[in-house]
Amino acid sequence: MKVEHRIILSNFFNIIVLIIVIFFAIQNLNLVLTKLKFIQIADDLNASFLEIRLTEKNYFLYRNKMNLYDILNKIREIRYSIDNVRDDIIKAVGEDNFKILNKNLNDYTNVIALISEIEETKINNNQTETSIREAGKKLREFSEQITRLERTNTNELIMKSQKILLYSFWIIFLSSIVISHLISKKILLSLKLIQKLTLSISEGNFKTIENVDCDQECNSVIKAINFMSNELKNREEQLIQSKKLASIGVMTAGVAHELTNPLNNISMLAQTYIELYDNLSKDDRINFMSKVEAETDRMKEIVKNFLDFSKPKKPQLEQIDINTVIQKAIKLMQNMLYISNIETQLKLNENLPLTFIDRNQIQQVLVNLITNAVQAMTKNGKLIIVSDLDENKKYIKITITDTGKGIPPELLQHIFDPFFSTKGEGGTGLGLSVSHGIIKSHNGDITVKSEVGKGTTFTIRLPIYTKIEGSKTDE
Amino acid sequence: MSKSQIMVIDDEKIVCDMSKLSLEQSGYEVETFLSAEPALERLKEKKFDIIVTDYKMKGLDGMDVLKTVKKLYPDTKVIMITAFANLETAIEALRSDVHDFFPKPVKIKELKASIERALHA
Ligand SMILES: Nc1ncnc2c1ncn2[C@@H]1O[C@H](COP(=O)(O)OP(=O)(O)OP(=O)(O)O)[C@@H](O)[C@H]1O
Ligand SMILES: [Mg+2]
Repeated sequence: MKVEHRIILSNFFNIIVLIIVIFFAIQNLNLVLTKLKFIQIADDLNASFLEIRLTEKNYFLYRNKMNLYDILNKIREIRYSIDNVRDDIIKAVGEDNFKILNKNLNDYTNVIALISEIEETKINNNQTETSIREAGKKLREFSEQITRLERTNTNELIMKSQKILLYSFWIIFLSSIVISHLISKKILLSLKLIQKLTLSISEGNFKTIENVDCDQECNSVIKAINFMSNELKNREEQLIQSKKLASIGVMTAGVAHELTNPLNNISMLAQTYIELYDNLSKDDRINFMSKVEAETDRMKEIVKNFLDFSKPKKPQLEQIDINTVIQKAIKLMQNMLYISNIETQLKLNENLPLTFIDRNQIQQVLVNLITNAVQAMTKNGKLIIVSDLDENKKYIKITITDTGKGIPPELLQHIFDPFFSTKGEGGTGLGLSVSHGIIKSHNGDITVKSEVGKGTTFTIRLPIYTKIEGSKTDE
Repeated sequence: MSKSQIMVIDDEKIVCDMSKLSLEQSGYEVETFLSAEPALERLKEKKFDIIVTDYKMKGLDGMDVLKTVKKLYPDTKVIMITAFANLETAIEALRSDVHDFFPKPVKIKELKASIERALHA
């Protein structure tokens, strides 16, 4: 699902919760208002009843008949106003209570009416007096009771609304935290994945990620990065190949020299053979021709190495002893070293574990580094190549040390940049950048130490072969 | 007249062997060496008329041979042959006291002609 959709969905959920809460709140508020209105009415009623009861007392004190009329008038008023707010009262206290109220009022009216008649007949009756008092009391008590009830009800209602609001606040608060956490967690996970991928790409390790469980947005980003990574890999392979062709240019001088010697040998064998033909025994002749043959084999070998190096090759990892790769590189370079009068010293540790590398690429790295070393040295330089196990025993370490002019500290940070060269027309500036790329794609590293006027040491570290490494890189 | 003494120095064994065969055929006395160091040792004991040396060798090279020879025997002629012929080495060789300079592959007839010239100079 798209992240966008998820965010919309979660917002939608929160809005629904909010609407429900508001609906309840309004409902409750309405109820509270009704109750308050009723309490108002009930208070009015109470006041009226209080007045009635006062009038009633006056009547019993002074026996003024007018008082009874007042009471009846009052009751009529009360009836009138109760009828006006009938719905509100029913809503607040229910139909039954309203009926009881009505009945009480009726009872009271009846009692008052009875007294008026008795008054006409001038009969003084204690019993009627008590019944009046009783009915009045009942009426007042009832209305007071209802008022009290309604007050507590209203309070409860307000408290309930308060609680609902509080709870819903927490629900929305927590749900948005949980949802945003869920969404962002996935986004962050995908971002982390992408970050790791781009980091490894920027270090020259052109990996791709397949089949990741992530959102559509993240998926399309990963697809784009994968595409970029593959494209970079292709470009890098092209670059490696073109740098190789450039190295071949540098190497040809050495190869030409190397070829000249067997060529000269064949030529001299032939010239002498012709000159001495008559004096040669059969064995001598065979000996001459075998030498010619051996020299052609020697030429074939030189050409083969050279062609082998220049051919474009599919990248292919294999378990291999690094020393054989070093020796092969030295063989390719030996004439260049020879011509430049450079003494080569090899210190190869014979007991190294295997590495899991692309031998052609690593060979090219060595050729690039040796070429740089040769180019940095004037006559009588010394080249030392050492292979050994790294201190932590997880890497094989190859150091290539020259006694050349060294690299000024301010240039050190640039030498691995593509096209950085101090050799003008003599260099493309690709040697170290290509080498860096190759070593990085092997999960290794390449570092440099240099002192101007003294020399330079390049150190390559390549992971040693382990089963896990093998299967990891195989996939 | 005694035979002319010729020394050949080249790290290619075939060059030494073939030169020796061919030059002896032409009536010279030839000694060959695969590197400069034993050749220079031998020079301390014996004077040679002509020294044919490879320019580029492991250890001491043709130029070192030339210097030592000229110090010991100023009139001994040095002929240089080289597998790696570029303009620079040619100029460097010819500027020095080298009598002649041959790029490989060497034509033995030309080498012999050069030796003859050197002997009668
Ligand atoms: N061993 C070294 N000693 C001194 N300087 C070096 C050495 N190796 C590299 N450098 C410096 O680093 C620069 C970059 O080297 P890099 O191999 O990438 O390019 P380049 O040698 O100039 O050209 P290219 O290798 O493409 O022919 C060189 O121009 C040189 O200044
Ligand atoms: Mg370079």
